[in-house]
Amino acid sequence: MEIHKTSWPMRILVFVLFVYLLAPVILVFPLSFSGDQVLRFPPSFWSTRWYSALFANSQMLKAFWTSLSLAAIVTVLSIVIAVPAAWVMTRLKFTGRDLLFNLFTAPLLLPTIVLGLAILIVFASFGLLATMQGLVFAHLVVTLPYALRVLAVSLSTQDRACEEAARTLGAKPLTVFFRVTVPMLTPGIVAAAALCFLVSFDEVVITLFLTGPRISTLPVELYNYVYNQADPLVAAASALLILLTLAVIMIVERAMGLGKAFVK
Amino acid sequence: MPTTSAPDEHLRLEGIGVSFGAVNVIPSLDLSVRKGEMVAFLGPSGCGKTTTLRIIAGLNKPSRGSIMVGGRDITHLPIHDRDMGMVFQSYALFPHMDVSHNVQFGLQMRNVPAREAEKRAAQALEMVQLGHLAHRKPKELSGGQQQRVALARALVIEPSILLLDEPLSNLDAKLRDEMRVQIRALQQQSGITAVFVTHDQVEALSMCDRVVVMRGGHVEQFGTPTEVYERPATAFVANFVGRTNRLKGALTAEGILTGAGQQLRSATRLPAGAVDILVRPHRIRLQETGEADNKVQGTVSTITFIGDLVQYGVSVGGEEIVVEEATRRGRSPLAAGDSVTLGWSAEDTLIYPAGEK
Ligand SMILES: Nc1ncnc2c1ncn2[C@@H]1O[C@H](COP(=O)(O)OP(=O)(O)O)[C@@H](O)[C@H]1O
Ligand SMILES: [Mg+2]
Repeated sequence: MEIHKTSWPMRILVFVLFVYLLAPVILVFPLSFSGDQVLRFPPSFWSTRWYSALFANSQMLKAFWTSLSLAAIVTVLSIVIAVPAAWVMTRLKFTGRDLLFNLFTAPLLLPTIVLGLAILIVFASFGLLATMQGLVFAHLVVTLPYALRVLAVSLSTQDRACEEAARTLGAKPLTVFFRVTVPMLTPGIVAAAALCFLVSFDEVVITLFLTGPRISTLPVELYNYVYNQADPLVAAASALLILLTLAVIMIVERAMGLGKAFVK
Repeated sequence: MPTTSAPDEHLRLEGIGVSFGAVNVIPSLDLSVRKGEMVAFLGPSGCGKTTTLRIIAGLNKPSRGSIMVGGRDITHLPIHDRDMGMVFQSYALFPHMDVSHNVQFGLQMRNVPAREAEKRAAQALEMVQLGHLAHRKPKELSGGQQQRVALARALVIEPSILLLDEPLSNLDAKLRDEMRVQIRALQQQSGITAVFVTHDQVEALSMCDRVVVMRGGHVEQFGTPTEVYERPATAFVANFVGRTNRLKGALTAEGILTGAGQQLRSATRLPAGAVDILVRPHRIRLQETGEADNKVQGTVSTITFIGDLVQYGVSVGGEEIVVEEATRRGRSPLAAGDSVTLGWSAEDTLIYPAGEK
């Protein structure tokens, strides 16, 4: 990446692209400190009133905690299910393995609106609508394929010789899994967990079908809020969400940095 | 090659065969290794050395045949019950454990109490002169140090057989020389039975009690380093273990006749027919003045100085014979174009039926 050797037109093009991609994200921060009653740029005066309003909005706060606990539960379950599943997919040889893998990761390719409708129909008959369990199951449908893909890639690039060495040293297969395979997989697990967390925390389309007055998530609440009024409260919420996302990404970055060190 | 069961036999492979899909990588292999000896699997890349080693460890399943250790059939014993210490080509140290815990791993699997495991790991690391690095992570060690940790980890469990897969191939030349001596010394001290896979004839000849020369999944020759070098069973062995000159000729009632018409004598007996004649470059004297079994006239065509050796290319009746002499200071009496009389003994004239590769 030798930026200084890039030609001028190229540099301008890259700059314009960056501005185009990042402008909305960056604009959210000044907007969130607006003192105006409606979303307007630039704001006519500055204040932190929309942050106060956000923290005083009990519905938003409740939705935030729902989203946070939902994402946490979904992340833990995704990892617990996907690690053994990815192991089976990469370490065992059986007919139909590729087919099964593609089937498991197929939801990645389906339009989420189709998934949402399908889940709505199935869950309605099980009384899972507007329940935490329902949300967890629905989000797992979306997060598991991500987790499975990331972990399968990590596992298939892992040095098999370490597992073999452990076997020759007297470790039974299950011991090898917990004492060698999983610890060596840590960077992959952190990356998969972060991805699952963000996907779940951010999920709107499917969640819209499953939420109601009793239970709702933050993205859905924000969506409903914007639908009804256009004040800068959503800018304040967005600014905080961007910071949260950055924090998660930084955790991954650190874990992947360690990961590189692992591979030497 | 059928093996007779020696009284001190420790490892025995009987009719071991391996097929990967339709490819028959090892047709049928028999081998008997004595207790306490170090045996080398020597052969070119792809000849099945690693596969055979992994079959002994249980990491590969043979398609046919059986493996016996100490008289017991272990063909179907799971890897973790085989009690083998294996040193991998890539070392395969656990990246998330420090050096000491890497070495303790096998002891923990044997339920050795924590205190004792720690003590024995420390001793094993002391044995490979790495006691001071016990708390480093593998990635903080040099290649040679990682190699020694892998060795300590394999030896600390006092395995029934030590298996080494090209353990020196990733080290630089000087370190390789040191480790050769060190591994051999450790093996002899502990009296452990060891199998050493290598494609380097120097390693095989210098470190091991006996050498299995392999080619295309079968054993070409199994013998002591001297036997393999001095009495190669096939032209392939002669070529692979050490350098040779190769001349075409015919064996008749009168003796051996080279393509160029010289008469040669060999100590080897063969039925009459076309033969390949093999002579090692350093067994040929360049200016033969006395009596010799074989004497031929030639002209020096090339002279190459290689430090310890000078290599002469001598053209003899249209064929090029390479002769090697140890370098001697201040003496280079020959120049290209000089006439020379080459001489060598009948014992050094190896003959094989023609066409063998
Ligand atoms: N898992 C495998 N699947 C298919 N072919 C293999 C496999 N492992 C080894 N082989 C083949 O078996 C032959 C012997 O391999 P190997 O034992 O690794 O040779 P060496 O260690 O002597 O270089 C090679 O031709 C190699 O391509
Ligand atoms: Mg090999």
